[in-house]
Amino acid sequence: MAQGIIENLITELTKLPGIGRKTAQRLAFFMLTMSEDSAKAIAKAITDVKEKARFCSRCFNITDSELCEICRDESRDKANICVVEEPSNILVVERAKAFNGLYHVLLGSISLIDGITPDKLRISELVERVRGDSVSEVILATNPNTKGEMTAQYIKDALKSLNVRVTRIAYGLPIGSDIEFADEVTLSKALEGRREI
Amino acid sequence: MLRRTEGIVLKTALFGEADLIVTHLTSDFGLIKTFAKSPRKIKSRFGSSLEPLTYSKISFWGKEDANLPRLTQSDIILSFQLIRDRLECFLKVSEILELTASFLPEHEANRKVFMLLLDVLKETEKDCTLPLHIILYKIRFLNLIGYAPRLDGCANCGKTGFSFYISHGSVICERCITGMDSPIKLSPASIKLYESLSRWDLSLIERIKPSRNLLAELSDMLNDHIRYRLTRPLKSGAFHKVF
Ligand SMILES: [Zn+2]
Ligand SMILES: [Zn+2]
Repeated sequence: MAQGIIENLITELTKLPGIGRKTAQRLAFFMLTMSEDSAKAIAKAITDVKEKARFCSRCFNITDSELCEICRDESRDKANICVVEEPSNILVVERAKAFNGLYHVLLGSISLIDGITPDKLRISELVERVRGDSVSEVILATNPNTKGEMTAQYIKDALKSLNVRVTRIAYGLPIGSDIEFADEVTLSKALEGRREI
Repeated sequence: MLRRTEGIVLKTALFGEADLIVTHLTSDFGLIKTFAKSPRKIKSRFGSSLEPLTYSKISFWGKEDANLPRLTQSDIILSFQLIRDRLECFLKVSEILELTASFLPEHEANRKVFMLLLDVLKETEKDCTLPLHIILYKIRFLNLIGYAPRLDGCANCGKTGFSFYISHGSVICERCITGMDSPIKLSPASIKLYESLSRWDLSLIERIKPSRNLLAELSDMLNDHIRYRLTRPLKSGAFHKVF
């Protein structure tokens, strides 16, 4: 019986990304030694996320209320919208501390071969936002790969008729890398995106 | 065992956090899927070489029968970046990538299909606004894998016919047609266009200037034929018509 429940926990844990059988075992046996309160806190945090987390009605960030924390923050510049593919991308941009506007999460990127057409993303909602609110700039921060690039181009076209500046984050060489090791596409994009210093 | 070949990336699928499963059409092994470790990380040595369309020299490692060998190297020969730079070009090409990935079995070399895709991509990169390359690819690809619709004569008797029956994958002449339900009617001009696109040298294709209607007629017939053979429509097909 005891064997059954611990085995069950291990199996469940291996469903998480980056967790193999060995790590799952280690975590499971650690949980056995935890106090009941701390173990229940983990379980509760997981159920809370599943029960309460939903998408912000404005930007599709993850939140537990109608509007996410960023959309509610009065100090943020509402004239700038940074468009990202996934809610987790917001955390990364926030960590860079280089942007103080609002976000818009597309919840994916265009990939016809996988059946992901623009109507499956939150693009029309973005267009509505730009039309309705006084937005002066939309920054497209989709991934620098084919899907992200196609999505950026599609959005640029979708916003064409609206009076808004649309920009794309720059392509460049990763900081700390060596130019020797850059491939031709990355390097040509970095050259195209060069700027005066 | 380490194997080396040349390949064109047809598609990639996310695997875990930063890994990818890459589908290549290769010159020596046909369609293969490999596992690539961490290409999505910024400092990955794969760089941009796993983006769709990229033609590169690749090495992969795994037992002969391993269903997911590991991609160890990918050095770009041609990036086809100019196609990826334009949304409408890439959307058009998506359809032939999907067609290829959907019809070909894995691990069966078909060098002619590989060369066809490479040639069509080269032509498309020169000017992707030309509408004929996509249809041409569909026709020749289906031909190479034995699925081409037959338009040069009745499936029964070989006589000329203009009624195409999806279920037969062929035209059927007026005499043999009795008792059969509604076919796709084809004009003589579209049958001629089909013939030219099947045979003409790729470099001469831009001399063919069919009308919009003619092109649509042939294209619709081909798409119906593909849908029937595949038992589903191509996902990339419906959308790119918008452009
Ligand atoms: Zn929000
Ligand atoms: Zn006949």
